[in-house]
Amino acid sequence: MKRLLYLGLVGGLIPIQTTVLEHLSVAGVRPDLCLIAVSLIGLFGGLADGVMMGALLGFEQDLFSAGDTWVNAITKSAIGLSAGLVGRYVARTTPATVLPMVLGLSVSSGIAFLFAGAGGQHTLTAVRSVLLPQAMFDSMVAMGLYWVLAERFKKDDSLV
Amino acid sequence: MFRSTSGTRRVLLVLCALLLSLVFVLPKQSRTLLQAIGKPLADLVAIPLELFSSADRHAGGIWDRYVALRTVQEENQQLRREIEFLRGQTADLREMAAANQRLGALLRFRANTPAQTVAARVVGRDATNWYHGILLDKGEQDGIQAEMAVITLTGAVGRVVKTRASSSVVLLITDPNNAVTSLIQRTRDEGIIEGTFEGAVRMKYIPLLSAVRVGDPVVTSGLTGRFPKGVPVGTITNIQKDQGELFQTADVQPDVDFTKLEEVLVVTVPRHVDAPAAISPAEKNKP
Repeated sequence: MKRLLYLGLVGGLIPIQTTVLEHLSVAGVRPDLCLIAVSLIGLFGGLADGVMMGALLGFEQDLFSAGDTWVNAITKSAIGLSAGLVGRYVARTTPATVLPMVLGLSVSSGIAFLFAGAGGQHTLTAVRSVLLPQAMFDSMVAMGLYWVLAERFKKDDSLV
Repeated sequence: MFRSTSGTRRVLLVLCALLLSLVFVLPKQSRTLLQAIGKPLADLVAIPLELFSSADRHAGGIWDRYVALRTVQEENQQLRREIEFLRGQTADLREMAAANQRLGALLRFRANTPAQTVAARVVGRDATNWYHGILLDKGEQDGIQAEMAVITLTGAVGRVVKTRASSSVVLLITDPNNAVTSLIQRTRDEGIIEGTFEGAVRMKYIPLLSAVRVGDPVVTSGLTGRFPKGVPVGTITNIQKDQGELFQTADVQPDVDFTKLEEVLVVTVPRHVDAPAAISPAEKNKP
């Protein structure tokens, strides 16, 4: 079940992110599905799954992006690691704890992109028009998904 | 920390960490290695991507038809279905006619443009919000290589930054990391077109004494990069001439609508190889 889900994410997430998600964009900003998926995998599946899926999904994202072929791989692995640690050491995660966690992870990931030169010389504009809206978008979607998944896995413990 | 992880997982985790640390130790070499590893994966992912792209194009019509059919009464279902079918056919035909018109114009443009080009379809957008990029359905097997220019009949689009066997990634001219040498068509003053984060472009390094005006068209200069000379870029909408600055800067409204890109031309050779050579001064002076 878990392997099938991961395989589905590897095969389906990037095509969705690059095609249909464009219709859900707000002011040209789309939620980063890979970031949300890696955060939730870290929380539900644990630290190792978070890091490995982070590296794989991030690398895949790099292949379909105009940026360098390492930024997403590194940041998504770190996100998987952080989410895994939160899942391990925070006694009780709720949708309300997932919101600030993903917000923080998305902001950190955005800062890594700025350091990698994604914003060119327009750092402040990039923060205002991409980093913050995306972080808010990511955290809202992640909170909703966490709520759905938490309800689901209360009954079926196959991913944990 | 990894007490609960199994043996295989631990090995995978260590391999993963080694690969990622390699990126920091040998950035240039690892980039080539990662590109090589990534090509088969990217080609695999390109298959569902193509499926999603195709489904996305048809989803609007299917959804409309589905919603309409669900609301009709039972006795009118058959008739309404026929109407919907005919409407769908009309929509399909209109779409085909529009595509035909677009592709016809693209072909005429391709025949007239002084460059060898490969036509490609836009199948997706950049996988992150950080770069203004598009994904094309053509790649190395169609002769596309990194750094090649991408144009449409309305103007310059961007340059190819990544290629795989059957797909490629294009960085648009609206991205801050892109720069194209251009000139103001009326005054012939040169400058560099650079993207801004808002999806517009800006022309930098215009000489201070240039008589540039709002409304002047900007075209590619063809001096650097692989853009042919004279490809439209946009129209100047605002000029900034700050005191103490050595150059002027102008805001340019791009001629291409980047939100509605469907087909593009990748310039494989900036000029036709069989094009007549420029007349030498010696030949020019012949009687």
